[in-house]
This record gives sequence, C-alpha cells and structure tokens, in this order.
Amino acid sequence: MVGDALASSPGGYLLVLAVLVPVIGMLAMPVMGLLRVRHAASLAFATIAVGVAVVGAVGWRVVGSGEALVYGIGGWSPPLGLALRADGLSAVMMAMAALVIALVALYARPQFAAAETAPGGRRAFGFWALLMGLWSALNLAFVGEDLFNLFVALELLTFAAVPLVCLDGTAATLEAALRYLVFALVGSVLYLLGVAVLYARYGTLDIGLLHELAYPDFATHAAIALMIGGLMAKAALFPLHLWLPPAHAGAPAPASAVLSALVVKAPFFIIVRLWFDVLPGASHEAAARALAMLGAAAILVCSVVALRQARLKLMIAYSTVAQVGYLFLMFQLTIEPGVPAWATIGWTGGMLQLVSHALAKAAMFLAAGLIAEALGHDRIDELAGAGRAVPVSLFAFGLAGLSLMGLPPSGGFIAKLLLLSAATLSGAWWIAVVISVGGLLAAAYVTRVLKRAMAPPPEGIVTSPVARSRELAALALALCAVALGLVPLQPFDLLAIGRAGVALP
Amino acid sequence: MTLSGALLAATLATPLAFAALCLLAPFRRRVFALLPLAPLPGLATALLAPGGSLLLAPAPLRLVLALDAPGAMLLGGASLLWSCAGLYAGSYMGARAGHTGFAVWWLLTLAGSLGVFIVADMTSFYLMFSLVSLAAYGLVAHEGTPAAERAGLAYMALALLGEAFLLFGFVLLATAGPNGNPLIADAVAMLDGSPWRAATLTLLILGFGLKMGLVPLHIWMPLAHPVAPMPASAVLSGIVVKAGVIGLIRFLPFDRAAPDWGTALAALGLFTAYYGVGVGITQRNPKTVLAYSTVSQMGLVAAIIGAGMAAGAADATRLAAYYGLHHLLVKGALFMGVGVVAATGARRRPLVLGVMAVMAFSLAGLPFTSGALAKYAAKAVLGEGATGTLATLSAAGSTLLMLHFLRLLAGISKARPQDRAPAGMVVPWLVAAFASFAVAWALFPQATGGGLAGVLAPAALWKATWPILLGLLLAPGLARWGARLPAIPEGDIAVLAERAGPAVRRFGHGVEWFDAAMRAWPVAGLALLAIVLALGALLALP
Repeated sequence: MVGDALASSPGGYLLVLAVLVPVIGMLAMPVMGLLRVRHAASLAFATIAVGVAVVGAVGWRVVGSGEALVYGIGGWSPPLGLALRADGLSAVMMAMAALVIALVALYARPQFAAAETAPGGRRAFGFWALLMGLWSALNLAFVGEDLFNLFVALELLTFAAVPLVCLDGTAATLEAALRYLVFALVGSVLYLLGVAVLYARYGTLDIGLLHELAYPDFATHAAIALMIGGLMAKAALFPLHLWLPPAHAGAPAPASAVLSALVVKAPFFIIVRLWFDVLPGASHEAAARALAMLGAAAILVCSVVALRQARLKLMIAYSTVAQVGYLFLMFQLTIEPGVPAWATIGWTGGMLQLVSHALAKAAMFLAAGLIAEALGHDRIDELAGAGRAVPVSLFAFGLAGLSLMGLPPSGGFIAKLLLLSAATLSGAWWIAVVISVGGLLAAAYVTRVLKRAMAPPPEGIVTSPVARSRELAALALALCAVALGLVPLQPFDLLAIGRAGVALP
Repeated sequence: MTLSGALLAATLATPLAFAALCLLAPFRRRVFALLPLAPLPGLATALLAPGGSLLLAPAPLRLVLALDAPGAMLLGGASLLWSCAGLYAGSYMGARAGHTGFAVWWLLTLAGSLGVFIVADMTSFYLMFSLVSLAAYGLVAHEGTPAAERAGLAYMALALLGEAFLLFGFVLLATAGPNGNPLIADAVAMLDGSPWRAATLTLLILGFGLKMGLVPLHIWMPLAHPVAPMPASAVLSGIVVKAGVIGLIRFLPFDRAAPDWGTALAALGLFTAYYGVGVGITQRNPKTVLAYSTVSQMGLVAAIIGAGMAAGAADATRLAAYYGLHHLLVKGALFMGVGVVAATGARRRPLVLGVMAVMAFSLAGLPFTSGALAKYAAKAVLGEGATGTLATLSAAGSTLLMLHFLRLLAGISKARPQDRAPAGMVVPWLVAAFASFAVAWALFPQATGGGLAGVLAPAALWKATWPILLGLLLAPGLARWGARLPAIPEGDIAVLAERAGPAVRRFGHGVEWFDAAMRAWPVAGLALLAIVLALGALLALP
C-alpha cells in the first residue's frame, strides 16, 4: 500500500500557505470594514508581503535541499489524498509570479487607491480581490500534482482573469471578456473530458502515479490530446488566439501585464507537465513537430500582424501570441537521444524564454499604460513626444524590447541562443530560421514604437504627469528581464531539481 | 590585477562610465569637452598592454579580455581617431544646443568599437559587436532629416540582419565545439571538424561582410555616411566598419590552407573594390564618394584576408589589420577634412586642399604615404598572381575616384575668402593626417616582420607609382565624359529594395487578412477540433 509511503517533506506546509495566503487576503477584503481597514490595496499589500515571504521560503528549501518539496494534504497520500509538489521548475515559476505580482501591485496602487465607498471604489476593490484570487490560482497550478486539482486551479484562474479584462466596464471590454470566457470554457470542457477518461482508465489523477501506471493505448492518447487541446486554447496558441488580442489590449495596464505575463503561462506549464510527466511511451516526435509547427506559425504570423497594428496595446498583445509560439518549439527541441528532456539546452532555453517573456512583457504593458496615460491615447503613429513626457517608461519599454528582440544583454537573448543551439543540434533547421526571422520581426515592431516615441513632440501637445513610483515599477521589471541575461549558457541545474524522481522509468 | 588587465578594463569602462554619467546634469553640460578623453585608456592599452589579458568573470560565464597584435594595431588607431574626432565634434557640434543624445550614442559606439578589438570570448564579442552596430544608429540618424531617417532605417534593418547572421553563425560555431561560452580561438579551432563548416563560414562572412560593406550588403554605407554629422562620418567610415574586419580576422581559420573559401572571399573582395570605384565616380556629393571609397578599400581588406585564408597564412591577419589601420586614419582625416574645407576661405584653401590631396592619394598608394606601406606589406599575401595584379590595378581606380573626390571637394566651400576653420576642427584633422604617416612607418617592421629598405627600393617605388599614373592618364577621360555616366542614386541597389515596398505591404496585408480569418469563431472552433484530432492521431503513431 502506498498509504504512508509519500510522507510530506519538512516545510511542505509552505506549499499550502502559498496557495492559501492570497485566498485569505481575498476573503478578508469583503469584511475589511470589520477589521477597520479602508483600502483594499492595504490588505493586498499585506498579503503580498506574506505571500512573497512564503514563496521565498519555498525557493530556499528547494534550492537548499536540492529536492522537490512535497505535501500530502491531510496527511493522506495519493491515490487517497491530494499531493502538492514543488520541484525546481515550480519554484522558479512561483518566484516569477511573485515578482511580477508584487511589482504590478506597486504600479497599480495609485491607480486603484480609492476607498471602497469612494467613487471608483468598487473597481479598485475588484482589482485587488481578483489579483489575489489570480495569484492563488497560479500558485496552485504550479504546485498541483492532481489533474483535477489543476482543473480547479485553471477554473479559478479563468474566473479571476475574465473580470479583470472588463474592469473598465465599456461595451468593447465586456465583449472581449465574454469572448475570453466562452473560449476558456470550451478549453476547460476538453480538459475535463480528458481527465474523466484518464480517471476511468487508471483510477487515479495523481501525476506521479500516472507516470508509473500510464501505458500507451488509445484511451490514454485520446485523453491527453483532449487535455492538451483544451490547454492550448487557454494558452492562446495560434490559431486558437482569437480571444487574446482584444482581452489583453482592453484590460487596464496592470491587469494586461498580469494576464500576458502569467495567466497564459499556467496552461502552458500544465501542458509541459502532461507531456513530460504523464504521456507514456517514447519521444512522440511527430506530435512534438506538430506543436512546434503551430508555434512557428504563431511566431511568423502574429509578429507580422503586430507590426501592422495601429494601437500600442494591441501590438503588445499580438507580440504575446507570437512569444507564446516560442514556448511550443520546446517540445521538439528537448528530444535528444539518451538524455532526459530536462537536461537538454532546449529545456533550459524554453523555460528561460517563459520567464524572461513574463518579466519583459509585464514591463512593456506597464510602460505602455504610462505612455497612454501621459499622452491620453496609445496610437503608435502619434506617439511623438512620449520620450520627453515619460522618459523612464520609454526606457523600460526599450529594455523590455531588447529582451523580446533577443539582443544582448537580456534573458531573451540567452533563451534565443539556447533555443537556436538546440535547433542546430537536433538538425531542425527550419526552427532555427523561424527563431531568427521572429527576432527580426520583433526588432521591427519594437523599434517602430521607439522611433516614433523618441521623435520631438509636436506643437501644442498636452501631456499629463504620471507618478514616478509607477515608472520605476515598470523599469524594475525590465531590469529583471535584462538581468536574466547573466544566466550561463548551459543546462541550468535549478530547473532539473526534483525531476530525477520522475525520470525515465 | 596586473597593469595590462587594469588598462583593458579601463578601455571599456571609461566610455561606458561617461555615458552613464550623462544622467547627471553638470556632467551633461560638459560632455562635449570630455569626449576626447574617453578613448585615452584605449590608447594607453594599445601602447602598453599587447599580450595582456583579463578574466572578467570565471566559467561558466567566462568573459575574457585579451589583446593580440592585430587587435592592438586597430585599437590604437581607433582610440586615436576617436579622440581626434571627439575634439572635432566639440567644435563642430558643441555650439548647437541639445546634443546630449548624440554624445551618449557617441560614447556607446565608442565603447563597443574598442570592445570588439579586446574581447576574446564569443559572448562578449557578440555583445560588443551588437553595441557598436546598434549604437551607431544614433549617429547615422542624428540629423533627423528625411534623408537621415531613410539612411537610419536602412542602417538599422541591415545591422539587425547582420546580427541575425552572426548569431546563427556563432551558434553553429559554438555547438560544434565545447559547451558553454568558448574562447573565439578555441571555437575556430574546432571549425575544421564541424559538420556545419560551410554554413558557419557563409554566415560569418555575411555578417562581418555586411559591416565592412562587401557588395551587395554595402548599401547602408553610401546612405549613412553622407547624412551623418561630419565627425560621426569619420568614425563610422574609419572605425565602425573595422568591427567587420576584426571579426573576419578573429573568426576565420588561417591555420590550414582553405583554397575554396579563401578564393571566394578574395574574389568577392576584389569585385567590391572595383564596384565601389565604378559607382563612386558617378556620385556628386564628396562624402558619398568617400563612402564608396570605403566600400572599395574594405573590398581590398577582404581580398587580403581571403588570400591569407586560401594560403593558410596566419600573418594575413596582421597585414589586414595593418591595412585597416592605414585606412582608418586616412579615411578619418579625409572626412574631418571635408568639414575643414567647407569652413575655409579661398585664401587658405590651396593649403588645405594640398593636405587633402596627399591623404586622398594615400588611399591609392602614393609613395612614402601609409597607403604605399600598407599596399607593399599586403603584397606578401596577395602574391604576384591574378589576385595580386587585380589588387594593384585597383589602385588606378582609387586614383580616379580620389581625383573625382578632390574636384568635388574644391567646389563645396561657401566660406568668405578670409574665413578660417576653427582650431578645434583643424588640429584634430591634422593630427589624424600626421598620425597616418607616423603610425604606419613606426609599425611597418612589426606588421611585416621585415625592414623598411624594401619599400624604399626603386622597384617598389615604381610599383606604387605606375597605377597612380595610369589613373591620372584616365582622369581627363572621366572629366570629359563623366557627365554622360548614368546618375546612380546613393546606395545604388537600395533603390531596388525600396521598389519592393508595395509588394511587402501587400504581403503584410495578406497576413493580416489571414489572421482575421483565423480569428473568426467557426474557424477557430474547427481549428481546435482539428488540432485535438490530429494530436491524438500523432500521439498514437508508433
């Protein structure tokens, strides 16, 4: 009996805290009157402080012990109980989420500062409550070991993300939110269907147990195809991206930042778990190539479309769809005979791309929000003068752009270099070409904006001032993306921690 | 840290620190006065630290600075010209307000351009190369006129294309070798056994050739050099293009004869040498003529490197660097001189034009000038065969081109007769011109490993002179019938590329339409279904 075989590791409760702390913060908001707190923002900041400490402790434990952190809920181990587990990869994802959420919160504070009873108070309240809900869902998606548990995380994520899109309440954003909701629900249904098939087949949904039990047959393959298809819809992989541009462009800037940086990454992360930890059998080259081809199409098509956008936020949103494409190249680039996927440079490159895109894209959306506030619009053709009005924001935009273009020094550069090397090593020349062309297109759409924005302001332009602290939050995120460029060019040990346990059977 | 290590670090750190200090208003106000100081540590390094090295960061990052003989030559020349051009810029631009941006781009380009001469590992080289490439955009586009915008666009597009070629080439080079970030020399040593040798060499030659202006990737030069401010043209044409030269020197293998690749590169270089002359003589702007002259001269450098590669002669690197050093100082002096001529009145103009003529004919190899020394030294690699003969004959073309330049130059000044150019422009110009003599003579023994007797022998003098005489003989013909030559626009084939504009826009429009079609609900729904089915089928494949 596996009953007590899976004891929780010391400090495993931290994983529960990582999920629960934001929820507690969120639940405290409706009753904050009783706690004599007037601003939801204050509660959110207290929660973020605790949450960041918890995530830091998780990271410290994982790195210190060199092993995954495990917790069996209620002392029960799978298949009876639910397990939470954080390996090196999960710890990195949680740290990324915590960093982005904390800096976005600093940025959003002046924007959503109204007390609950003041005008705009409901909107501010909604933002902070949803942000906390979203964080909890992200952490759950990163540490969940049970496929149904992950389904719950995905639903919580969707239900927190959709209202963020229509926080402004205009007709256009409501329509965008509805579009997002419907497509995400279709994705959820497919995922749930797959979960049901797997449960019927194996009687468990624990990823660790499935890894040992699953064998390549029709039902298993069908279930995983359903789940991955559903998750792709939620990750907005081309051509399933219809919902993303209006949703990410319509949301308020801090919400866009979180949506583009983090929310699309959670379903991708779960695809990675399914692909590498559950999917039985050999390397599935044909399917991996199909995913990589969709990713390549995303990079090429959506980068060109981004280049043709008239609105800054829509351009950034299309850039997100293109950058998500890079992540899906990973499945083909981690196939190396005799080497587990997480020891390849393709693995490190893909994950580094994920993290550096998260930081760079968050910085870019925040900077774009400030540019739009200063000028009163975000039409790219009329950005002249932005360089004078909000120089720090434009600098942050440029640094983030450096990472998206894959120019040194930046995390995006190292990621691109590793992916290019992996493509070369595996002989996938077409991927190398796509990566190079994608970099050129990104350079084109970023420099297009920078060039316009640095032009001297036209006569009689009126700009409104923005808070310096908000500019610095955007800059901090961009600097983090640049700092990732100091990661050495080789498979990164941290990303492989705790993966030996679920290694090749 | 040793002295040489400290000097190497200071070479890079000083201009970068100056650029960062521009954030402070008091520094910003004085920055033009300080520009000539920024490259001085580089000059000291070139004089005192050849052979030195410094490990900036240990493995696995392994960032290494090191200075070898070709690097030291180019570093010294570049530092000197940067310093002169900085002084010149203070006089030329300093009077006009609001040029902090120019100074920052200047300092960043300076840091990158010196950096490529002293880095020894691949990542640092790419970083420095990107820095000089991208920061130079600020110098090209500085004037903000429509012509500068167009030149800036062409420059940026090609620079990024070059970056893409190089990155891919570097990846192929590094993947064939040891893991991580290898030293350039180690990676190049592995090239022979690499399964991607051909692809790697092609990409490297494309990437570095673009920076040097090898045809057909030269189009940015004749667009960019005429529109940039005078001191910026001097450093762009003199120094920035040398990033390509040092790239070829560092990254091509010379340890074993490679006749196929070497001959191909030499042929491309010689073609470029003649092409630059052919298009240059149809131009009407003296700065554009100088830009085409740079294209032509860099073609010769590529021919030297190619011939060295074909023969497996490692001294070719030193000789190519020596030729590059000569061109660097002379071309810098010529560009600065254009500004001096424009500001000089009729009374002093003959003197100024006289100095300019010596500089111009130095490019054609006039005896006793740096050009004669560099061409004589290059003979050792170019040989007496077809390559050598074609290279010698190209000097006649250079003579023709330079006469054309001097004729245009004589007509540009609108100054009043008694006007004289400010000392801030004249002094750096003369220093660069003088340095081209002094440095070339001083370094000749080191570059060739031989004495000066050979170059002064009558046979050598005649060899240097006859192509110039041939050019002088042809010149009346050009003067008489030159007006009938077709007027080739600046950047020649760039015009063809611009003609493709509508087609590119139609393509973009088509992609946008495709994206809109994919975003329709029924299409996306069907796509989702198809993806799930296809994925299931592909997973079930054995």
